[in-house]
Order: sequence, then structure tokens, then C-alpha cells
Amino acid sequence: MSIINYASREIQFKIVYYGPALCGKTTNLGYIHQRINPENRGDLVSLATAADRTLFFDFLPLNAVVIKGFVTKFQLYTVPGQVIYNATRQLVLRSVDGVVYVADSQWEKMEENVESFKNLEDNLAKQNISIDEIPYVVQYNKRDLENIAPVNYLEYVLNNRKKRVQSFEVISSTGQNVFASLNAVSQILLHKFSKQSDVPKNAPPPVAIPVEPSVVQKEGAAV
Amino acid sequence: MNAIPCLTIEDVASLDGVLAGFLKKAEADLTVVIDRGGNVISQYGDMSVMDVTIIAALAAGSFAATRELARRIGEVEFNALYHQGNGSHIFMNSVDDDTIMITVFGGRTTVGLVRFYSASTAQGVAKLLKSLSRDGHGFSFDASDVTVAPIFADT
Repeated sequence: MSIINYASREIQFKIVYYGPALCGKTTNLGYIHQRINPENRGDLVSLATAADRTLFFDFLPLNAVVIKGFVTKFQLYTVPGQVIYNATRQLVLRSVDGVVYVADSQWEKMEENVESFKNLEDNLAKQNISIDEIPYVVQYNKRDLENIAPVNYLEYVLNNRKKRVQSFEVISSTGQNVFASLNAVSQILLHKFSKQSDVPKNAPPPVAIPVEPSVVQKEGAAV
Repeated sequence: MNAIPCLTIEDVASLDGVLAGFLKKAEADLTVVIDRGGNVISQYGDMSVMDVTIIAALAAGSFAATRELARRIGEVEFNALYHQGNGSHIFMNSVDDDTIMITVFGGRTTVGLVRFYSASTAQGVAKLLKSLSRDGHGFSFDASDVTVAPIFADT
């Protein structure tokens, strides 16, 4: 749950990166930590196993001035993707304000993507939050690999609800669209709390934002 | 449009008053009140040596993890946790269903003293937070106050 402190003029928001195991959630946070201005971030904390698999969560605090007169603190978390850690995912989702759903674009991961998204819906429902109410965006990660599903198929499988959300083709290892998706979910989140509208006026149409053509030659752009 | 729960300057001053009194009596270095999602609600004391945001996230995780441990022995949760270091220690206790209080202290005091005073302080904080939620004031802002430029830049 977001909270505002009028004395320190700070607002806090919690954004959770959710998705199946090995889809690139931690890589997203690692890239953001590496590339953002160090003055605007804290340390990246990873509670991982010896094999670098997320055991509890990764955590990265970011600061920005986005609302006149207030420092906005965005707290980025990842969940452990492995199926057995569902209790941990529920704990990390507590008080969540926004979600970046990270899907693995490889064909063989499609079932895991769908299961993980369903698991997200279920875990939000346990907190009395509907997926249709919470600000979220979808990432189609690993667009640089060979065996990937086309974006229109991913959109059909994972972003086919009544209200389609913004989606991004992402290569988290090189950072393609990592910041774009973070900025998108942050803007949607801020506008949820603003007086005039629920959606940013300059919101792009709900289609997958492609990676730059120079990075991925073979894959077509948006749906 | 949704309103963000808001702590006014007066609310923060009231909380600070309770926390300052606790730190003085318990001779601890820092105390932080957080919600169970890891958000900082209030903090008081020497914050120069650590990132309070990270302490809050990890403490909320630690408290949540041990809740499962407590259930295995028939408890709802552990009301308090103590992490003992060589020179610095952390004591955490439950304030209410949504809130935890963290205290960082060193060799000037003892865990017994911190534990003793934290119990009454937690009650005071819970009472204050309850009155805030009852009188509840939310905050929202104009869309024009929100920057339209990308918030975070890839440097």
C-alpha cells in the first residue's frame, strides 16, 4: 500500500516484478541498478541461493521527483519464480501498488507463463485485489533468442483481457525496453492517484512496444 | 481516482514524540515503524549509518518468514524477534496486524531494556495509528502535478 508522509514530503510505492522461474525478473532489477543514476537509487539487495536463484526476493529502492513538491520512492521487488515458493510470493505481494509481469518468450515456456499469470491473479485475489484494478504492464522478455513465439501469439495468450494493458518486447540482458516498461507502470500508478484521470493522457496504444530493429532483426514489430 | 493514505505533519509529530521517548528510555539508536509490506511509516534516531528503506524491506520479510515458523509450533506469529550481532543488534516487535516496530541498538543498553520499553511503545503507536485510520485522511494530486517525462533514465 502506498503511503505519503507530509512531514518528510515523501510518497512510497511498491512495484513487484512477477513471472515464471528464470524469465529475467532479477536481470531487470540488475540492469536498472547498473544503469540508473547512483544518486537516485539504493543498494540492490538479493536474497538468493548459492546458485543465484531468487530464494526470497530482490529489492531495489529508487527515488524520483515526479510529483511537484514530493520525493517519490519506488520500491522494486522481485518474487521467486519457482512453483514451490508460492507462500513467499504471497508475502512479497503484500501491499503491492503495481506489477510488471515478465513473460519468457520461448515456446517451451508458454505453459509456465500462463500458470504464473494465473498464480498472480490468485495471489492478488487473496489480498482482495483484482488484476483489472491494479496498475500493471507485461514484458515479453528474451526477444533475442531463436525459439520464441511471435508477439501476436503472446498477446493472445497473456494480454487478451477485456482491458488490454501496455506490453513491451524486452531483452533484459541488454536492457532493451527495461526502463520503458518501468516508466510505463510508474506513470499508470501515479495517474491512478491523480484527481483528473485514471490513464495518462499521452498513453501509447495498447500494443507491444518493439525492441529497436537494430537489436533484433528477425522479429516483426507490434501486433 | 484513489487517495493515498496520508500522514500529516501533526501525525508525524505525534508518532515522533512516542518514538523519541522510547529511544531515550531504552537508550537505543534507531527505531522505525513499518507496515508489513515493508513501507516505512515513521522513523526516529540516528539514520546516518544505514539505509532505512532496505532495513524496512528486509525486516518485513524476516517477520513474515518467521510467521510460518510460528505456525508450525501452534502460534499465530512470534510477537517479537531478536537478532544479536557482535556490536549492533536488532529487536522487532509486532504493533498491530498491519504494523511492525524495529529497534536498532548497541552496547549502551540491553535487549531486556529494549524489550521492556518497546511493549508499551508499541501499544502507544498502535493507538495513534488506530486514531489515524479512524479519522482517515487521504491525499491525491492533480494530474498536472505529475511529470510527463520518463521518470527513470537509462544513463
